[in-house]
Amino acid sequence: MDRQDQKQQYFNDYNNRTHVIGRIVSAVTLVLLVGAPFVIGTYLGAMPDMHAVLKGFLAVGIVWTVSSVVEFLVYTPMLGAGGGYLAFITGNLINMKIPCAMNAREIAGTRAGTPENEIISTLSIATSSLVTIVVLALGVLLLVPLQPVLQSPALQPAFENVVPALFGAMAYMYYRKNLKLALAPLLLMSALFILVPSLISSTSMMIIPSGALTIVLAYLIWKKRGTILDPPGTDLSGAEDKEDTEGTAK
Amino acid sequence: MISILDSPAMYLICGLIILFVAIVSAVFLIRAYRAGKAIGMDSDVLKRAITSSATFSILPSVGILLGVIALSGSLGTPWPWLRLSVIGALHYETQVAQGAAEQVGMTALSAAQMTPTAFATIALLMSICIMWGMILSIFFNKMYLGRMGGRQSRKQESPETAEKKTAEKTGARQGFGDAAMIAMFIGLVSAYIGSYIGGFVSGNGRFAFKGSLVPIIVAAVSAAVMALFTWLAEKKHMVWLESFSIAGSMLIGMLAAIFFG
Repeated sequence: MDRQDQKQQYFNDYNNRTHVIGRIVSAVTLVLLVGAPFVIGTYLGAMPDMHAVLKGFLAVGIVWTVSSVVEFLVYTPMLGAGGGYLAFITGNLINMKIPCAMNAREIAGTRAGTPENEIISTLSIATSSLVTIVVLALGVLLLVPLQPVLQSPALQPAFENVVPALFGAMAYMYYRKNLKLALAPLLLMSALFILVPSLISSTSMMIIPSGALTIVLAYLIWKKRGTILDPPGTDLSGAEDKEDTEGTAK
Repeated sequence: MISILDSPAMYLICGLIILFVAIVSAVFLIRAYRAGKAIGMDSDVLKRAITSSATFSILPSVGILLGVIALSGSLGTPWPWLRLSVIGALHYETQVAQGAAEQVGMTALSAAQMTPTAFATIALLMSICIMWGMILSIFFNKMYLGRMGGRQSRKQESPETAEKKTAEKTGARQGFGDAAMIAMFIGLVSAYIGSYIGGFVSGNGRFAFKGSLVPIIVAAVSAAVMALFTWLAEKKHMVWLESFSIAGSMLIGMLAAIFFG
């Protein structure tokens, strides 16, 4: 067995164990989270009203169930095995985990479907989860002194714009090498939201048609050229501000 | 009622579950690091993935902390702390908690109207509505990824493999799986940027141009700072900057919101 085979064998074993561990801890977390309201109920001396739970589930739960299925189908290939289990346990996918993993893999320069990518993605999601747990624990511990600062009116605009700040930076990172590909979904989605502003509140669902369109376009470009990266010299690497002029011009 | 929801027993119940998830995350982190070394990855690359993810996550985590504070007024601190540390998503929790409150006969999610039954019901509903991602992972993650991996390896076994592999190595050709993932992400980012543009143009009446310009300014500033960081990292060889570039861009973008907001 040469070194490459050994590496593959080791990684396959690692991956299989990841699935075993991932399934077990997901199941345990599920039991803990669904069990907690009953434990708390016992402590408070009142059990959940199952009739209201059922009614509530039909009212608000169905939408989230559909969006959970979509999230699973879209994000699992991006996250890989280890990252996938962990991200669905720890949550906050769209506003943190997905961009975080994409950023890490950009920095590490790994490609989808490779063992290296699986490792980087898991490292990224695990680190991100731990940071959130620590920040929240510290925040709760220091809630009394922190609350007036964090809730001060002067800082509100900053915290209301965490997501635009995140996607602005990520947009530059990805648009600069794939400007031709990015233009179509950007223009189309802007036009759609301008014409049907009521869709803005369901942007998290609109990423599906936008992503599907971009994948189709990417396939056409990839079939022709073997890569979706813009040809050297025509990308944004030398002209930094182009993305924002696009952003503000429309 | 709120004092019971903030009692040490509540902190203990919620804290133990969070501790469990923290241990799980640490185990995944250590396993992945060891496996990375074992398959011959550079430990510098592994460390940079960890550093960049840590700095990346700080600001969004502070945003999530604000969600805890917002919900703590009606649900006490421990339960929102648990919800948002584990599994929860910022936009999800508030919406479901409010929807659930209506079902138990409350006019609004508030501490004054909270009863033990109402709390237990709201808490259970918050847990149930978002558990599907985990359930799907338990049953289908392996099969789903296996199927995608299988498709890729079948492709690699085709006669053009050798040629394609060399091309892939030189970077001239990339696998479509990789391209599709980048495309999906570009679609995702474009939908959000598009929603800011749409919000400005038509947010307060179609073509009224009276919506908020702040998200667009924030995204533009953040992108411009990111461009500067990228230039410094690539052209001035300050590679260490890469680990902090997203966090730094976000911070300056968010500061812009204070000035323009």
